[in-house]
Amino acid sequence: MKSPLSLEPLFLLGPVGITEPVVVSWAIILLLGLGSALATRRLRLVPSKGQALLELVVATIDDQIRGTMQTDPAPFRALIGSIFLFTLASNWSSLIPGVEPATAHIETDAAMALIVFVATVAWGIRVRGLGGYLATFAEPTWVMIPLNIVEQFTRTFSLIIRLFGNVMSGVFIIGIILTLAGLLVPIPLMALDLLTGAVQAYIFAVLATVFIGAAVGERRKAGASSEPAP
Amino acid sequence: MRIDWWTLGLQTVNVLILVAILARFLFRPVIAIMEERRAAAEKILADAEAERAAAVAAGAAAQSERERIEASRGAVLARAAEEAAALREAALASAKEDADQVRAAAETETRWARAAEEAAASERSARLAVDVAGKLMQRLPASAQVDGFIDGLAGALASLPEASRDGFGAPDRPTLTAPRPLTAAEIQSARDAFARALGRPVDLAVAVDPSLIAGLELETPHAVARNSFRADLKRIVEELTGHAGDHR
Repeated sequence: MKSPLSLEPLFLLGPVGITEPVVVSWAIILLLGLGSALATRRLRLVPSKGQALLELVVATIDDQIRGTMQTDPAPFRALIGSIFLFTLASNWSSLIPGVEPATAHIETDAAMALIVFVATVAWGIRVRGLGGYLATFAEPTWVMIPLNIVEQFTRTFSLIIRLFGNVMSGVFIIGIILTLAGLLVPIPLMALDLLTGAVQAYIFAVLATVFIGAAVGERRKAGASSEPAP
Repeated sequence: MRIDWWTLGLQTVNVLILVAILARFLFRPVIAIMEERRAAAEKILADAEAERAAAVAAGAAAQSERERIEASRGAVLARAAEEAAALREAALASAKEDADQVRAAAETETRWARAAEEAAASERSARLAVDVAGKLMQRLPASAQVDGFIDGLAGALASLPEASRDGFGAPDRPTLTAPRPLTAAEIQSARDAFARALGRPVDLAVAVDPSLIAGLELETPHAVARNSFRADLKRIVEELTGHAGDHR
């Protein structure tokens, strides 16, 4: 059994080594993109069951964003919703034999956390202005400036490590179990992995929403400075 | 553990591409159809509200129209009542006028009838008196029916104007009417008395008329001298009836 912490290129595109998480991500992008294009091809005012499910997903994402940020969810919908769907699809891809979730590798989690970090800074500056955004680091007092700056990185780092640790550990445990008892025994753990994957996708998306919301809007201490336990 | 930076970069690009794809093919069309449905629902609600408002306006218009009709009906009824009252007053006035005319005519007719009745009653009374007088005179002696009246008739002739006296005698022969046949002495007595009154002899024709009751009448075609109960009673009757007429 290979280590989940190591990455070996599957093939090379010039100097670039294409690793398994990248391939899995391409597959997920292809699946979600084609699925969305097909599912939204014939939307109607009176929805079918599939359309109703799509609308339920989108409306739930909107409700989460609106409830957390207390603002119009439209500007943030694509980013938050895509991160949630990608994370969920990636986490659940572990159910496919031979497929290792992209989120089980820290590069994928770091990529999403990096995007959230950049989006937080960009939206904060866009909404508050550069001075206004920088001024938020001096809240509640200037003494907090170092801590607030450190917090920007630590919370991003915690975002990465939380998702990576949960998913990787699930994959690791199932791999160990499979080596010990390959028949039926891993099934409960796989079910637990489904739950864990959904919860982690939700947590990642909600935290991204909280970070962006804290940057663009009124400070909501409870949501912006505290993070749920992994 | 080490980080594969190529993988990190590729995954970053992958996630960004996925964001763009899902924004284009998932979120935008789903949100669009949800907005379209919301707009349709709002339009339906707006249409319903507009229809409700229109219904309310129509109801208000119907109410105002009904009130206007009620008001006009009241005015029409009032005008009709006024016209009916005027017609009634006119009819009453006309009826009163007709009644007054009828009553006046009835009163006139009643007066005429009463006058006629009173005249008839007076006449009956006079005739009754004449009858009574005649019956009473019949109880007198036959000589009393003539004797006292010869001188009276001669006096009446004598008191006549000259022209009237000339009417008695020639060429016409005067007729002496008595209630009973006169005796020769009575005829001679009458002729003598009339000759004295007229100043010339008179040839008399004698006639009998019991209706004279008592007395004598001397008559020519141009003049009459009466000295009889019938003439007296007739005059009395005329005076009585004329007196009764004056009282009406």
